[in-house]
Amino acid sequence: MKKLQCSTAAKVCAVLVLLAAAFGAGVFGVRALISSVSITRSSWQYSSRFYSAIDERRRDLVEGIELSQTLEELEKQIAEGTANPLAYADAEALREEKARVEERFSRQNTWFRFRLLTDDGQTLLGTNLKDDEAISRTVKEMHYFSFELWDGSVNYDSETGDLGLSPSDANPEGETAPPMKLVLEYGVPEKVDDSIQDEFSQIWRLWDMDRSSFDQYLTGFLNLGALTLLALIWILWTAGHKSGAEEIVLTWQERIFFDVYAVIMIAAIVFLAFCTVGLAEQLYWSSASVYAAQSESYTSFYNLGVAGAGALFAAGVGCAALLLRTFAVRVKARCLGKTTLLCRVAAWMARTIHDFVRFLPFTWKMVLGFGGYTVCTLWLITQGRYGGGFILMYFCLQLVLLFFLAWWAYGYYRLRQGTKTIAGGDLEYQIDTTRMPYDLRLQAEDLNNISVGLAGALDEKMKSERFKAELITNVSHDLKTPLTSIINYVNLLKSTQQTDPKAAEYIEVLDRKSQRLKKLTEDLVEASKASTGVLSVTREKIGMGQLIDQALAEWEEKLSDRKLTLVSTLPEGETWVYADGRHLWRVIDNLLSNCAKYAMEGTRIYLDLERGKGQVALSVKNISRDPLNVPAERLMERFVRGEESRSTEGSGLGLSIARSLTELQGGTFDLAVDGDLFKAIVTLPQAN
Amino acid sequence: MYTILICDDDRDIVSALDIYLTSEGYQTVKAYDGREAIRAAETHEVHLILMDIMMPELDGIRATARLREGSNVPIILLTAKSEDTDKILGLNIGADDYITKPFNPLEVIARVKSQLRRYTALGGAEKGPGLITAGPIAMDDGAKVVTVDGEPISLTPIEYNILRLLLSHPGQVFSSTQIYEQVWNDPAYGSENTVAVHIRHLREKIEINPAEPRYLKVVWGLGYKIEKGA
Repeated sequence: MKKLQCSTAAKVCAVLVLLAAAFGAGVFGVRALISSVSITRSSWQYSSRFYSAIDERRRDLVEGIELSQTLEELEKQIAEGTANPLAYADAEALREEKARVEERFSRQNTWFRFRLLTDDGQTLLGTNLKDDEAISRTVKEMHYFSFELWDGSVNYDSETGDLGLSPSDANPEGETAPPMKLVLEYGVPEKVDDSIQDEFSQIWRLWDMDRSSFDQYLTGFLNLGALTLLALIWILWTAGHKSGAEEIVLTWQERIFFDVYAVIMIAAIVFLAFCTVGLAEQLYWSSASVYAAQSESYTSFYNLGVAGAGALFAAGVGCAALLLRTFAVRVKARCLGKTTLLCRVAAWMARTIHDFVRFLPFTWKMVLGFGGYTVCTLWLITQGRYGGGFILMYFCLQLVLLFFLAWWAYGYYRLRQGTKTIAGGDLEYQIDTTRMPYDLRLQAEDLNNISVGLAGALDEKMKSERFKAELITNVSHDLKTPLTSIINYVNLLKSTQQTDPKAAEYIEVLDRKSQRLKKLTEDLVEASKASTGVLSVTREKIGMGQLIDQALAEWEEKLSDRKLTLVSTLPEGETWVYADGRHLWRVIDNLLSNCAKYAMEGTRIYLDLERGKGQVALSVKNISRDPLNVPAERLMERFVRGEESRSTEGSGLGLSIARSLTELQGGTFDLAVDGDLFKAIVTLPQAN
Repeated sequence: MYTILICDDDRDIVSALDIYLTSEGYQTVKAYDGREAIRAAETHEVHLILMDIMMPELDGIRATARLREGSNVPIILLTAKSEDTDKILGLNIGADDYITKPFNPLEVIARVKSQLRRYTALGGAEKGPGLITAGPIAMDDGAKVVTVDGEPISLTPIEYNILRLLLSHPGQVFSSTQIYEQVWNDPAYGSENTVAVHIRHLREKIEINPAEPRYLKVVWGLGYKIEKGA
């Protein structure tokens, strides 16, 4: 298929076929056009050929009548002897002429029938009808002609009876003889044949021939026209394809602006079409002339004319094919708009206006837009008094305004939603800016850029946090191995007998510190894991009451060892939350361990659970042993403890771990310090 | 007399463990990487292996897998990693227990004893109609005796009843309220918080390390259960 499309031979063939078929179609078309008269008229006598022939006859007859009048006059003068000496020769010539006319108009030589009457219709002056024939029945259509005879000169009168010249004009001396008013009735029978050879039989034969061959011409025209069309379609299909080239190949034609090219081509086509039709008309009229039709050389002239018309038609079709071809190529190459001058001018203007509006400051846009709107509205309202059309336009303007406002409002809504989402923490979110008003889009794009930057920064931070966590984990793994040895050998030392009594004391310090080191490394790993979120969290429905019971069971003894009393207040029934049991236990464990470490001995620890607004809040309150000279926020930072000295057993990571774990489970962790009162509140989403 | 293979790339740890185990009356064989451990296990009659995970040449996990191909000697993994995934991987590959570094020597000895008792019990007590077992825990309901690794432990009646309830439904989680209602045979009106305390005591009696229980597990916020198939 592709090969066929690219074949040069096929293209040349198609062009030749197109031209040949168009030429043939033109020839047949012209012939069909000429002979179409024979189809459209009901009788051959209604053709212009007939009219011109019968007018010719009538003119000849009237001339003949005039001639015989002149001859009569001359003969009278000769008889009176007042004639010119050479008048007899004139008379002779006139007589011969008259005989020839009589010969021409005799029944045997022509189908022309006439009757010459005085204008009152009473006196029959001459006819070529038989006695028993009535002219009205003999001829197809009767023609009338009235005229006046003035001493051998004819004053023409049309069939309508108007006088062409007034009698006084024709005969200024006002001689006595009054004009003879005559009426000629004439016509041709409908049925003629070749028994009498005259122009009417000729016209009839031509008409008959046209009538019988019209179908043939039309069929020829249609067939060749179809072939032309096929060739044209082929040319359009193959246009622009070339073997060895993937895309559409442009030619010099496509360099010309399409509209310019089209105007030139259409002008040429119209001109050629007019020429063709004009030539056809000329041929028709020329064939109307009977004598031309009878002559030998006329036939070749006629054929030449027909061929010329065919060539003109073919040229027109060729121009049309060129125009359509370049159109097809441009459409295929998708450069129709680009290569059209009007389009380019329009696009340039649109771009200029667009750029102008776009770079106009927003305030000016508002002012100009509103000004334009007001002027339009006022004009339409004032004009509205005169016609409903203006009122309709006014409403259309309002609709356009409404649409514009809705567009803006929707764009603003999207911008607002996007901003809300980004502000809500989803920094990855990108506002969709398609079909947004220009000014809002600028805003949205800036916001997107900010969010991309922020997301990148956050990503970086997360990465570095994760790296830190990994580092801490690896370091603590490496710490654990020597620590294992230390713990084990300290233990062994404890079981040996020491000579120096102080040695046992020193070993005790070593033991305590190695245990603390162990706790520190464990807490360190956990804190880094919790804060970077590498821990897996499986949230499920957890009973807070149950959990507090379990936690208290773990801690009751240790707390009472330190003379701390636990007072817990739980609401009626079980309180369900969504949390990870293990992590939540670690939170409570850390809080209670904090109490055990830092609460003043002999005080009470309050543990309250409250429900409300879809949240569950657990608060742990205790009185600090040492003054809390650190703000609450600082307490949650890593390695920060209530008292700055590091003598006690805590690692300073407990609260930090508790906060990270709570946040991992979607809760919040708050601390409050009021004098010596330390309060920690864990809030979690309630489950139903 | 039992022989224990100790394998760690840290020689100090190996000798410390050697001292503890020898003082407990065990014979020891030492190895310092996975390959040596496999060789030692082939040349000696070994009753238990203590194996570090992170070692050069052949790590503990692969060595365990290799050893498991031809032997069912108890293997306790020593690991510096405390992530659950490492423990699960070790247990899946065929280890019987694990101890995280830095460990307490007393815990090591307790676990060694536990594993050896189980390994040498050779089928243990015959399964009577009233005998309920889970891992090392065996309860003879007829005689009202509970043993862990063959060692009898003394329980209060309430602890005994709680343990029986949990043992008869291994893997099932009981909340404090359920346990209270079934053991005390009373509706629980806020008095179920005593259950938690009883279970803590029970755990201290059964488990080697009650803070990290292997058998009687705390399902935080939901209740308690006996590990299925432990």
